Amino acid sequence: MPSATINKPRPSELLSRLTSAEPEVKVRALRQVKNQIIGNRTKKLSFLKLGAVPAVAGILADSIDDVTDNNNCNNDSNNTINILVQSAAALGSFACGFDAGVQAVLDAGAFPNLLRLLANPNEKVVDAVARALRMIYQSKLAPKYDFLQQKNMEFLISLLNSEKENVSGLGASIITRSCETNLEQKALFDAGILRKLNSLLEGGSLSQRDASLESLATIFRNNPEVISKFAGPEIGRPLSSIIDLAKDRYPRTRLLACMCLIVIRNASPHFLQDIGIKTKLIHILLELLDDPGQVGDEAPFAFSSLIAQKEDLQKLALEANAIDKLHHHIKKGSLHPRRYEGILLALADMCSKLESCRSKFLLLQVLNLLADALTDYNAGVRAAACICLKSVTRSIKNLSAGYFMNETIVIPLVQLFLDPSTSVQVAALGATSNIVVDFTTRKSIFVQCGGMKQLVQLAKSMESSVRSNALWALKNFVFQADNRLKEGVFSELTASLLSSLIRDPEPSVQEQALALVRNLVDGCINLIEFVFAEDGLILGAIGRQLQCASKAEIGIQGMYALCNVASGNEFHKEAVMQLLFTQMGDKNQSFVIKFLQSNDSRLCTATVWTIVNLTCPSTPGAPGRLEKLRNAGIVSQIKNMVNDPCVDVKLRVRTVLGQSMAFGDN
Amino acid sequence: MASSKKVIMREEWEKRLNHIRIRKEEMNKLVMNFLVTEGYAEAVAKFRMETGTEPDMDVAMIMDRMAVKEAVQCGNVEDAIEKVNDLNPEILDTNPELFFHLQQQRLIELIRNEKIEEALEFAQEELAPRGEENQSFLEELERTVSLLVFKDVSNCPVRELLDISQRLKTANEVNAAILTSQSHEKDPKLHSLLKMLIWAQNQLDEKATYPRIKDFLKATLENPAV
Repeated sequence: MPSATINKPRPSELLSRLTSAEPEVKVRALRQVKNQIIGNRTKKLSFLKLGAVPAVAGILADSIDDVTDNNNCNNDSNNTINILVQSAAALGSFACGFDAGVQAVLDAGAFPNLLRLLANPNEKVVDAVARALRMIYQSKLAPKYDFLQQKNMEFLISLLNSEKENVSGLGASIITRSCETNLEQKALFDAGILRKLNSLLEGGSLSQRDASLESLATIFRNNPEVISKFAGPEIGRPLSSIIDLAKDRYPRTRLLACMCLIVIRNASPHFLQDIGIKTKLIHILLELLDDPGQVGDEAPFAFSSLIAQKEDLQKLALEANAIDKLHHHIKKGSLHPRRYEGILLALADMCSKLESCRSKFLLLQVLNLLADALTDYNAGVRAAACICLKSVTRSIKNLSAGYFMNETIVIPLVQLFLDPSTSVQVAALGATSNIVVDFTTRKSIFVQCGGMKQLVQLAKSMESSVRSNALWALKNFVFQADNRLKEGVFSELTASLLSSLIRDPEPSVQEQALALVRNLVDGCINLIEFVFAEDGLILGAIGRQLQCASKAEIGIQGMYALCNVASGNEFHKEAVMQLLFTQMGDKNQSFVIKFLQSNDSRLCTATVWTIVNLTCPSTPGAPGRLEKLRNAGIVSQIKNMVNDPCVDVKLRVRTVLGQSMAFGDN
Repeated sequence: MASSKKVIMREEWEKRLNHIRIRKEEMNKLVMNFLVTEGYAEAVAKFRMETGTEPDMDVAMIMDRMAVKEAVQCGNVEDAIEKVNDLNPEILDTNPELFFHLQQQRLIELIRNEKIEEALEFAQEELAPRGEENQSFLEELERTVSLLVFKDVSNCPVRELLDISQRLKTANEVNAAILTSQSHEKDPKLHSLLKMLIWAQNQLDEKATYPRIKDFLKATLENPAV
């Protein structure tokens, strides 16, 4: 039996004490609840399930009206204050880093009461309440704050002006959480909030500086106008204070300052573009990776936001040995999943465009670590590993050498096709799409691991992103593959599945399905029979889809598929002709004319290519087809394009006209 | 090589040192900062009275913090936890490692007082969940719980956990966390100054021979070996 010295009441016992009529009992019970849950996520959950939050919120609500005479130092008043402080502290702790707790506090209706209590004359009450509200605003579940209402803005300003750290911190948290649109950002600027935040930046305490940096970044995000107004000459040298903070002694401040600078850089082409600041940011972020705590976990994400899509920065980072450093951290092992994910994504961004980065990556043999990451227990890590693999496999040099088509990579990758997480599946498909472009003869390895069959299964997925990415991978797989491989794919897919995918509700799926057909029938005349299988299911689907193509890409792939069919024999060419002239409803214009008149030169090119194949002089039916095309006004349309600005179009047009002249056209 | 190092004799060195002015107020501030950070509340009050130097923190706050530190040092961890939560509930809510160390200390105290059954119950109810919530604590958790296995804890492989120094370690951790939450640095500036001095001398040693300070307590200049 537990000894009497540990007098710890059970949670249910504590909750019943909360309902006591005696204020002292209530205060003690509240304090005990608070002390049991602080730092203890497990306890928070169990108290939550017992209904502790509505109970405490109820006590808070009842006690607000009890505060009558604040100058009275009697016992009653003290008890009320203690009740308010302890219940606010308990609610704040439930909400601290615990979304279920935040939801419970909001559901219990405590939020408006907490707001009211900010005006309470007692300092301790205000402190506890402000802290609780701050915890709520750190969560995504926090209620949206409407900055555009005048009195809300005034309230916010009063919060920021407060001397109490928790209250001004609350103001900053509200901005960081709720400010989203350019309109809100401008409203905050117009209300002078930036000036206030800037003064907190320069003269505030550590937590005020950090909170300020986060709020500023939120207001600047994607808003070059606000940035230029802030960084302009009137407000002194505000950008330099942020730059100085990037070298602050506290790692968290350095990170937040870097993130703020990156937001400014990314939004506005005028600021922070010199090589000095770029190099500085790279070095600071790489050094922050060494931090063992949360700062080190978040640093790689900030690094990614700095270099993503930017070749110049990737190059500078490469020179700063970023890949070595990131590799060094992964090698250490037993990483927090967030950190692991961040580093993998950072490597993905580094290798996304530059071959020099990919070479470095492969040289350091990071690929082996990547194979491990593919089987990690955390979904975010698995997805990040796939994204990294996709970047690295853009290396044509290594693809051609068959570097990636090996079992160490392919087997775990194919297993991810069955991953419970859709985002992991899609990421794995992305990486696969590159790997299967293997130019050597090793594509069969992919079939042997069951990869091809899996892809076909995924093409039937309920998720459209999975369908389109699976088709993409298949499309790349059959690209210039040998006939046997293509036949294997086709028989697994079947004509009916492929034709229904061509007619899929999602445009991206339609596009990939058509591109897959294009690649399937390309190269060998026997393969063209695919589109005629089961009574021309596929050909028919192509025709119907081209009639109502919702975007140019669908037309392009469809036309190239037809173009490849039209490169076959007479029968094939006639079948294509029939397709081109099928009318739909009351439209008397073939989609061919529509495509030829398109602004998209790729679509024009594809269409003209098809005509080239149809009117190829060496074929007996060519004159007849040419006649039909002329009668439909297609030849004259093509004549109009003889000086098209796009070289590809111009050349193909001239080929057609050259061919038509061979039949005595004028 | 050594022969290419510049040599500065004592007289020259002292002459240069005399050119540097350090104000009394600056030194007072350093002393005050030391007293505040280390938590000597009474000394802070007296020093303030005698020199007029303002502490960068309320004396009451210092006393609150010292109460927590002393509670840990005496082994009253539960009391310390309650006090910290009264001071600032965010500290333990956002510092899983510190919270774990405090719970760990509680277990150690129970074992020290030979309350084995309570210790078992505590380990199961309070410590085990910490390991579930955060895998990086598992190793330390296992070490601590292994104390329960040994009959003679004073001779077991993890006996240093029962040392008073372990209490001090935990106490210092709490002290530092409280200071950080109050936006105050956890180390006295004097500490950083001394580190800077050591570093600067090490750097200079590579380039010159000069009167060094070897013993910081005496702060006397040693004549350069020629």
